[in-house]
Amino acid sequence: MAVYHLKTPFREEEIRSLSVGDVVYVSGEAFTCRSRLHRYVFDEGHDSPKAASDRDLLIHVGPIVIRDPEGDWKLVSFMPTSSIRFEKWGARSVETWGLRMIIGKTTMGEETMAMMAKKGCVHVSPQSVSPNLWIDHIRIEGVEYFEELGSIEATWHMKLDELGPFVVDIDTKGKNLYKAHESEVDEARIAALKQLGIDPDYQYTKLY
Amino acid sequence: MIPKELYEDVIFDAIKKGSTVIAPDVLSAFEEAIRKESHPAAKEGLTKTYESILESAKKENPACADTGWPIFFFQVGNDCVLEGGFMALEEAARSAVRRATKEGYIRATMKHPLTGFDPGDNVGENVPGFTYKFVPGDSLTVTYVAKGGGSECFGGTRHRVVAFADGVKGIEKFVIDSFVEATRSGGICPPNVLGIGIGGTANIAADLAKEAACLRTVGSHHPSPEFRKIEEDLYAALNSLGVGIMGIGGDTSVLAVNVEYAYTHIAGIAVAISANCMVARRGTFRIHGDGFVEELDDPDWFGRRE
Repeated sequence: MAVYHLKTPFREEEIRSLSVGDVVYVSGEAFTCRSRLHRYVFDEGHDSPKAASDRDLLIHVGPIVIRDPEGDWKLVSFMPTSSIRFEKWGARSVETWGLRMIIGKTTMGEETMAMMAKKGCVHVSPQSVSPNLWIDHIRIEGVEYFEELGSIEATWHMKLDELGPFVVDIDTKGKNLYKAHESEVDEARIAALKQLGIDPDYQYTKLY
Repeated sequence: MIPKELYEDVIFDAIKKGSTVIAPDVLSAFEEAIRKESHPAAKEGLTKTYESILESAKKENPACADTGWPIFFFQVGNDCVLEGGFMALEEAARSAVRRATKEGYIRATMKHPLTGFDPGDNVGENVPGFTYKFVPGDSLTVTYVAKGGGSECFGGTRHRVVAFADGVKGIEKFVIDSFVEATRSGGICPPNVLGIGIGGTANIAADLAKEAACLRTVGSHHPSPEFRKIEEDLYAALNSLGVGIMGIGGDTSVLAVNVEYAYTHIAGIAVAISANCMVARRGTFRIHGDGFVEELDDPDWFGRRE
């Protein structure tokens, strides 16, 4: 495990050199996307946001952004959201938008992981819920599809300055950080059931 | 009579407090979790979350960007009189939600379930949610809960019916198995405050689980020994799983296990779980009949037990 300070645009080889468990801090230009933008573009056939053409860092996030009294956008809060819910569109987003990194939460499925390995893209997640430590590292540069999709589903253009730490949980070698941990928890589950006096093979009465 | 202007202001304050100030019992649970954490990454994650929570109270900024569902719990004194009545109370609550959204204390998260349409103010069909409990006295106690989506959507909140024959074992197996599934890759933002409802119809069990997760303080116990034992046994068992903060591995997987129950038809025992995020958010104020407003750390929702 190593700590990296990366800048956009990312080079494919630096992304491919990352392994699950590595920690990254990220600077540069990013754009945001949630459920409605995925559907808007990939199911309803609208144009991809312009940011997707020249930014290779996607953040799965619905930030809280308000207008300050001068009429400028002000970022109030930021916490990456669960990526697994975008799995249906994941592979297409990586391929169509030429992504090198996704900042999200949780994980993504097999199809997206395969596309990430093919194209050279990683998924990273925070290991804390600390929006108030992050917001000073993010500047709002602009927004697309605000009227169409609303404030949290719109595409925000963000300028990042050493935003992190995030842990690489899917790398380009097809590894998933959580998979290894899951088997440990599965073993601990057996012990936990025994601790409660429950046979691990306990069968419920079949009521339905 | 409690004036409308007063209760609308207090409701707004409850939303603001609920979203930005984490209650002392939750802070204490974080401090203990940090102290005893043996995994360095988990200790760092817990510490950063704790630092962010302290900042949010200072900055009056949301403790998490996902402020989730806006839900209200009102304890209404039997002799409580509100200007405009209870329809005015709900209108005031909707109005306060709109204002809090506009001012950035809560995120415009609520959408149409099929089209995704965003009203932009968190107010729509059946939302915000209202739950009432009637109590002695002339006061109105307002609790606002910002119920985050992670702990609600990814398996931490659900129910099943077990046979009476399966008893406590069936109940506890369901809780352990559900929690293991739900914490895979940190979906429900562990360590959670886990509420469990036992008995009643499915919706009664689900309501009890939600109230146990969101309205009981961390460190409180059910007064009945048999339910307190379930709380303690499950707390120990769940914390032996090694799930850790955001599912990365660690010593603390739940901050608390709170059980509530209802009498039931024993053909099938409904068991519901409701996970609350580690950043467990609630804000409570009590307005007395004479207009005196009291800030409460404990919503005291289950305080007046039969």
